[in-house]
Amino acid sequence: MAATTDTDHEEHTGAAASRPSAARRRPGPIAMAVSVFGELLITAGLVLGLFVAYSLWWTNVVADRAAGKQADQVRDDWAHGRGGPGALDTKNGIGFLHVPAMRNDEVLVEKGTSNKILNDGVAGYYTDPVKSALPMSGKAGNFSLAAHRDGHGAAFHNIDKIEKGDPIVFETKDKWYVYKVYGILPETSKYNVKVLSAVPKESGKKKPGHYITLTTCTPVYTSTYRYIVWGELERVEKVDADRTPPEELR
Amino acid sequence: MGLVPWYDGRDGMYGWIWRHLPGSTWVRALISLALVVAVVYVLFQYVFPWAEPLLPFNDVTVDNQ
Repeated sequence: MAATTDTDHEEHTGAAASRPSAARRRPGPIAMAVSVFGELLITAGLVLGLFVAYSLWWTNVVADRAAGKQADQVRDDWAHGRGGPGALDTKNGIGFLHVPAMRNDEVLVEKGTSNKILNDGVAGYYTDPVKSALPMSGKAGNFSLAAHRDGHGAAFHNIDKIEKGDPIVFETKDKWYVYKVYGILPETSKYNVKVLSAVPKESGKKKPGHYITLTTCTPVYTSTYRYIVWGELERVEKVDADRTPPEELR
Repeated sequence: MGLVPWYDGRDGMYGWIWRHLPGSTWVRALISLALVVAVVYVLFQYVFPWAEPLLPFNDVTVDNQ
C-alpha cells in the first residue's frame, strides 16, 4: 500500500518528486481519523445544501413539468368533448383554480390530497378526513382544497396575498364558479379539521351554503401551522364558445 | 511546500480517492467530476424523494393524525 502510494506520487507529481520528504510522509492514524471526520462534516454540509436546492428548486421544476402536462391533457379532453357533462370525470383533474391575488397561473385541481397527487404541482380536493363537496354537484357544502406552499410547484405560495373580498374562480369544462373570499385564518393547528366542515363555523358562517376552503402550510418553508382561506360562491357563469373568462379574471 | 501540488500529502477519504484514480491530473479531475455528478443524481433521484416525507417541512393538509 505504501509502495503504491509512493509510485503514484513519483508518476504524477513531477515537481514534488524532487522533494520526497514532504510528499511521502505518511500521516499518523489520528491525523487520518481527524481528516476523515472533517471531510464527513463538509460532506454533510454539502448534502444539506443540496437538499435545500432540491426542495426549493428541483421539486418545482419536476412539478411544473408534471402539472403542465396534466393540464394540457385536461384542456385537450375538454376541447375534444371528452369527459362527461359537468366534468365529473375526475381521473385527470376536474378543473382549474384561478386566484388573481396569488399572481400565479391557473392551478389544476385533482382528486385527493396525498403527497403523490400534490407533488405534481396541482391542488387537490379533500377526500379525507372530510369529504369535499364538488361545485359541479350543485349541492351545498364546502369545496376544500390543499396545495403546497413551497416546492413541488408551490401552487399556494402567495396565499398570504389574498385579502377579504378577493375573487377565487374555479373553472370547469362548462362553468365558471366565482367565489368571494370572506374569511382568513392565518394560523391554525394542523389537527383543526373543522375548517373543512360543510359549514365552517370558525369562519363565522352558520347556515349551509356553497363554500370554498384553501388550505396550505405556514409559515413559509415549514409545516408548523396551517393557513386557511374561505370563500363563498357568488355566482356561476356558463362557459361560452371562446371560454371568455369572467370579469374578475380580466 | 510551494512546489508540492495541493493534492499531495493530503489524507482523508477524498485524498485517498484522488490517489487511487488512474491517469493524469486532467483525467482524474474529469473522473472526479463524473463521480460528483453521479452522487448528485443519486441524491436527487432516490435519496431526497425518500427522505422528504420523513421530514416535517412540507405537510400542507389538515388531518387528525
